[in-house]
Amino acid sequence: MRWHKRLLVAGVAGAVAMAASACAGGQVRGAGGTPQPSTSTGPSAAAQANDATFVYAPNLDVVTDWDPASSYSNEIIAMANIYEGLTRYNAEAGKPEPRLATEWSSADDGKEWTFKLRQGVKFHTGAPMDAEAAKKAIERTIKVNAGAAYIWGSVKTIEAVDPATLKFTLKYAAPLDLVASSGYAAHIYDTSVADELKDGAKDAGTGPYTIDTWQKGKETELTLKAFEGYWGGWKPEQYKKVSFRVTPEITTAWQLLQKGEVNFVPRLNPQLFEQAGMTEGVRTAQQPSFQNLLLLPNTASGPMKDVKVRQALQLAIDYDGLVAALKGAGTKASGLVPKGLLGHVAGMEPRQDLARAQELLNAAGYGPDLEELKLTLTYAQGDEDQKLLVTLLSSTLKKLNVTLQAKPMAWNAQWDLGKKQGQDIFVMYWYPDYPDAYSWFLNVFKSADKPQFNLSYLKNPAVDRAIDALPQLTATDALAADAAYAGLQKKILQEEAAVAVPYVQTYQRALSAGVEGYADNPAYPNVVFFYDLKPAG
Amino acid sequence: MPRYVARRLGQALLVVAGVVGLTFVIMRMVPGDPAVAFAGPKATPRQLAEARERFGLDDPLPAQLWNYVRDLVTGDWGTSLRTRQPVLDDLYVAFPASLELVGAALLVAVVVGIPVGILAARYKRKFPDIGVRVTSMLAVSVPVFWLALALQTVFAGHLDLLPVAGEYDAALDTTSPLTLWTNITVVDALITGNWPIFTSTLEHLVLPTLVVAAYPTGVIAQMTRAALIEESGQDHARMERALGFGETAVLTRFALRPALNPLLSLIALVFAYAIVNGFLVEAVFNWPGLGRYAVESIRHLDTPAIAGVTLLVALVYVLANLLVDLAQGVVDPRARPR
Repeated sequence: MRWHKRLLVAGVAGAVAMAASACAGGQVRGAGGTPQPSTSTGPSAAAQANDATFVYAPNLDVVTDWDPASSYSNEIIAMANIYEGLTRYNAEAGKPEPRLATEWSSADDGKEWTFKLRQGVKFHTGAPMDAEAAKKAIERTIKVNAGAAYIWGSVKTIEAVDPATLKFTLKYAAPLDLVASSGYAAHIYDTSVADELKDGAKDAGTGPYTIDTWQKGKETELTLKAFEGYWGGWKPEQYKKVSFRVTPEITTAWQLLQKGEVNFVPRLNPQLFEQAGMTEGVRTAQQPSFQNLLLLPNTASGPMKDVKVRQALQLAIDYDGLVAALKGAGTKASGLVPKGLLGHVAGMEPRQDLARAQELLNAAGYGPDLEELKLTLTYAQGDEDQKLLVTLLSSTLKKLNVTLQAKPMAWNAQWDLGKKQGQDIFVMYWYPDYPDAYSWFLNVFKSADKPQFNLSYLKNPAVDRAIDALPQLTATDALAADAAYAGLQKKILQEEAAVAVPYVQTYQRALSAGVEGYADNPAYPNVVFFYDLKPAG
Repeated sequence: MPRYVARRLGQALLVVAGVVGLTFVIMRMVPGDPAVAFAGPKATPRQLAEARERFGLDDPLPAQLWNYVRDLVTGDWGTSLRTRQPVLDDLYVAFPASLELVGAALLVAVVVGIPVGILAARYKRKFPDIGVRVTSMLAVSVPVFWLALALQTVFAGHLDLLPVAGEYDAALDTTSPLTLWTNITVVDALITGNWPIFTSTLEHLVLPTLVVAAYPTGVIAQMTRAALIEESGQDHARMERALGFGETAVLTRFALRPALNPLLSLIALVFAYAIVNGFLVEAVFNWPGLGRYAVESIRHLDTPAIAGVTLLVALVYVLANLLVDLAQGVVDPRARPR
């Protein structure tokens, strides 16, 4: 045999051997292991029924944790359509609205809560959703104690008074109606199948959609289908099928959107977003989020221990320039609490004032003709918006004879260093797990001997006392709570200068022009409630 | 022969062990707590402690390494901190797709690169040669990321000739579901005679394959040209010419065979390189391969997953080199072990 024939034979033999060795058994993709017959995609029974699939293009894996108790990641987008909580937050109205609970009330200064449950709701498993089932779900979430389970920290006992009444007794006052609207850890699910959810073959929710297929690692990772027994019912024009097509590259997502292959892209870059606004067949939507960027100076040690240096830093930031450079991806913050949440204060927008910043630095012994001030700053690696802030800030500070040594870091490393007070300025985003401004104050500004997220290391007993009073006020007297929040923000931002808030992130979405009913709800980041959508016309 | 194979396998295992050990130690020395990848960015101290306990992250480094290696040997590549799935399961999903893309690209590289190299050698310093050299230089030096975006924008975006992204049309999952045997879509579609998915996959393969193939094709063409020119200057070539063989026959019938020897080694190296180089291409074309998995694992400091990807790529390198060593014996009697 000639040499090239021999090579060919060897190659073919190898390929056959490889294929044969891999042939341990066949499995049908996208059908959960059961072969599906070839079916035609003919129109369904109702003439005007919408049998189109709504395609969402996330840039990361869709699901990493299917357990509704511990789920605390990107899967919120899918979970929010499969599972429901007792309430859902309405960001426009600034308060929770009925979902699985139709009404609720609190007593005993916010330490006792009674929820009336919706009747006739069924889980996707077929079991009825009643007070006993809801009690079991929340109790299991508390017991699993993972992800955002801490939101139920105030709960002492849960009682199913009757099938339609759920009563919570709390250890301390808390706004449980807000807690119950959380996008994480507040799902009501059928606990009897909770241990069988891991492989994404089924779910245990009450929401309008249920899992159709989940193919981990594939491009079309997840498809959802309508749950026919949904308590809200179905109209013909609603989307009955939803799929998630993982698209890491923004430019690819943009191409797919233009071609109509996907219907929703959660974030484009500023250039493409501008282009999307002028492209036929595509429309854009902007909405300020509940996520703001925090610059936390080290109030415990180093040069920033001096409040004058901290105030100088606040005044050195070019807020307007930054927002302009972000091209719509951020809006100027007013105070620490984003708009749409109880506790937001209007008219607290910060302003750059370099002359005043220089005066303060001089008073602290630094400045152009005095000693050079060196500051270290850590921020998130790969975050272009934060990088922009750091670039602008370093060039401004240079003029004030302040050298900024900025280090981009992966979150785990940045956080580890932060817990050891390893920097002068810590940059991070903060967002609440349930729509309550308390999250910022409790986590970021309450004293802690071992700092977790209190990365400005602020220790102020008066601030602590005011923070501790917030939950009860929120639960019982919204007006008083609002005033308390305003006072606290003044103290932390102006007196202590323990934080600077350069901007609030703005969501910039792009979607097919032919879709109606889309509303961005910042309480549920990146979530599209597919049930609300329908094709235009 | 069996002793030769055994010796080569032994050497290969040493290399793999070294790579695994080094990756693991480096990953553990990077600052930051890997438990965050499992417990989430806002994990409480208790949740972090539980995660560290569960994955043995508080054990001394030698003990962690020992446990990892012990598990590896028993076929347990660990659990990904990020996806919460066994790493081997994750790789079993991601790797076949990468293999499909790189396999197709290498096929193109060999089928195009070698004839083009022969052409250049035949017309040395003439127009075809210059054309080939310039083109292959371009193919080698253009950044894959740029090439991917450019081809996607032109051929899928503006001209609308080919799909923008994906492995095949997802709608086919319902109309003609694919039975999986090897997890390599194009192969499975062929084996099971699933023509809609087969043709759709081929169509989706064109652009990413061309991009991944650019570098190997350029290198193979250059190398073929160089090796052939060198061989055709040898004594045997002078004799073949004296016997009346034409220049083309000298190149293809006599010079090509000894020239294939270094080429085969090159192809093996380029193959393994293309898997990693293809990560960026996979991102642009939504190709569900190792790329996304590797990038996300690195971003989250997901040690078991990173070590898994590294180990897999190292295994591919070693295996490809081993296969080449064996193939060289077939091609070149001089390389056969005695």
